[in-house]
Amino acid sequence: MNKKPRHIIRGLALVAGVAWGLSTTAADVPKAISVSQDMLTKAGGQGTNWLHTNGSYDQARFYPGNQINAQNVKNLRPVFVVQTEVVESMETAPIVVDGVMYLTTSYNHVYAVDAATGKEFWHYKHKMGPVTTFCCGPNNRGVAISGGRLFMGTLDAKLVALDAKTGKLLWEQQIADPEKGYSETMAPTVVDNKVLIGTNGGEYGVRGFVKAFNADDGKLLWTFYTIPEKGHEGVWAVNDATGRNMKRDIAAEKAALAKDSSFYQTLGGGVWMNPAVDLKARTVWFVVGNPSPDLYGAERPGDNLYTNSIVAIDLDKGTYKCHFQYIAHDVWDLDAVSPPILVDVNDKAGKTIPGVIHGGKTGHIYVHDRKDCSLVRFSEAMIPQENMWVLPTAQGARMLPGANGGVEWSPMAVNAKLRLAYALNLHQPMTYHVEAAKYPGGKLWLGGAFKAIPGEKQWGRVAAVNIDTGKIAWKYDTEQPLIGGGLATAGNLFFFGEGNGLFKALDAANGKLLWQFQCGAGANAMPVSYMVGKKQYVAMGCGGNTQLDFKRGNSVFVFALP
Amino acid sequence: MLFEVNSVQLSWTALVAWAVLAAAAHAQDAEAGRKKAEACVACHGPNGNSPHPQFPILAGQTARYIYLQLRDFKEGRRMEPQKELLHQKFSREDLFDLGAFFAAQKLRSTPFKPDPVKAERGKKKSEETLCTMCHLGGFMGQNEIPRVAGQHYDYIVKQLRDFKALKRTNDAGNMAAVAKTLSDRDIDDLGHYLAGLY
Repeated sequence: MNKKPRHIIRGLALVAGVAWGLSTTAADVPKAISVSQDMLTKAGGQGTNWLHTNGSYDQARFYPGNQINAQNVKNLRPVFVVQTEVVESMETAPIVVDGVMYLTTSYNHVYAVDAATGKEFWHYKHKMGPVTTFCCGPNNRGVAISGGRLFMGTLDAKLVALDAKTGKLLWEQQIADPEKGYSETMAPTVVDNKVLIGTNGGEYGVRGFVKAFNADDGKLLWTFYTIPEKGHEGVWAVNDATGRNMKRDIAAEKAALAKDSSFYQTLGGGVWMNPAVDLKARTVWFVVGNPSPDLYGAERPGDNLYTNSIVAIDLDKGTYKCHFQYIAHDVWDLDAVSPPILVDVNDKAGKTIPGVIHGGKTGHIYVHDRKDCSLVRFSEAMIPQENMWVLPTAQGARMLPGANGGVEWSPMAVNAKLRLAYALNLHQPMTYHVEAAKYPGGKLWLGGAFKAIPGEKQWGRVAAVNIDTGKIAWKYDTEQPLIGGGLATAGNLFFFGEGNGLFKALDAANGKLLWQFQCGAGANAMPVSYMVGKKQYVAMGCGGNTQLDFKRGNSVFVFALP
Repeated sequence: MLFEVNSVQLSWTALVAWAVLAAAAHAQDAEAGRKKAEACVACHGPNGNSPHPQFPILAGQTARYIYLQLRDFKEGRRMEPQKELLHQKFSREDLFDLGAFFAAQKLRSTPFKPDPVKAERGKKKSEETLCTMCHLGGFMGQNEIPRVAGQHYDYIVKQLRDFKALKRTNDAGNMAAVAKTLSDRDIDDLGHYLAGLY
């Protein structure tokens, strides 16, 4: 190909790229944006920027500044509100770098605004393809940043890279086929120029994965499938991680597997929250969601590895290191979603070891040894449990917790000094219903249904759990089930939001309510904190939630002391 | 790298022109769908507002749901006597166009007058059944989950009965599991409630 045609093609590609991802506001960010790997690596130890969805590669959602603290938080006031054009479920964790905030909305809009004034610089709208698949709202949980680029996964299962200064599309890459139920709502994680991202689709019969793409050009570097082609039947576990019998008919499952083991391509196992990264060990930690179909297990005999598991893989090659499965052959959708947190913990002998913790939909926080994934302990149940593990029936079997948890996707926070992990819980009494169902070709595939129980109250609970003992230090109950992120700070505070619009700060040590603000729509996103100049800010998206049908809005509120 | 920003010079005029073309191309999908939808008028009415209670209103339905249902008819997952021949001739692109067209039309109210007592009971039943977890508040639907608000009473009742009796099975067990917990009175109540939502 000679030079001229190549330029024409590149030109068309560029124009198409701009047109297919429309930046509706022309103003550039008035400064150079550049985030080095060193900044990303040390993000958890500084209070100026918020560079990762969950604050750092450890994902502790701990802000180390204390300008806003338990003594003065009562004076916290809104500074500005960013009103987006999308009135729909909001789950974003804004990324803040050098006074510039990047936030996302449902349907993959991205806004760049001044993090101290709210002034909008640019607004990017992803041009959606004709096929999008999502079970629980058209959500997006934010961008990742590295160098001068932003990265976002889209509902039509693409990974896009934007120029952080201009909002212009740099490249886009198809991650998987949305027609088969793949889509993206999670924020990616960028490390060493690799963009890590999993997939939704556990309700659609996908084959889950974590993929790594080259941040420069979107080229695929490696794929780790969460469903191995061979061996997904596992060890035929009889009990769950806490030792309770799961009432499996192992003999029937083995007979079914002998007839057909080809279902690994539709066995589910989505990964739809950020992984943690242990740079020293070159290990990526993530949790894997439910098998498909959710409630009808006869289609998928075996343990269904690595669904409902915490998994460690090699950062550079994407190869398996270890796993621990919480519930084998899950038929309740009580899977593993809330992102893992890397934190030192006491082992059973009281020795400090590198640990990794996960808040489960079961209502337990699980504490693992990072050496081999083994379970060190599990916490007291944070919410009521009843009738576990009764099998779903056609007319419905009552069991607690309901299918949303426990802890849903809601990221926990950790205050390591206090030794506390903070988990947002739901209490939704449900009956579990099963119905035989063949693979429906990329459509919703539950194989049954979940139903709320009439007359039984639903509520939420913040539980602060000692990670060295598993004991609950304190509880703070709320009138509605909780979904969204938590934020712990060195000011001895824990921030979280509720579906009724209240954004609250609790005393991190005892759970006492210290401050609240009514946002006017469900406060169900993920709070972050940062500094511009000498002032600390706290930001929270309040757009409600589709899954729990909390009141929708379109705003990100930003607070500071007067 | 796919896009090499520095290798070409582009004017804003060109960008705007391309954006307009892209927008026009998007509009043409729905417009193409309008022509293709002419075959649907006899049952589903002009612009998808079916005058026949046994045929669903497609106006204002989500594009994704229409596409998936048409695909299921075409591939044999959903069966209705009237549809057997009709959908075989449509291509995948046709199905997208039809979805885009009907989704863009405005749903008009039907002559059906809901019984307020039944509608209230239906509302309560829908709340305890967690219908809005998928269908969203107001039953406006989302993506592949259909809008049911303002649909014909007869059609709603028939679908729920068909799910319950496993006569309609392209729901992957989701609606069958729900419908099996509904009595005939529940289904009637839900029909009154949902048909009255606009």
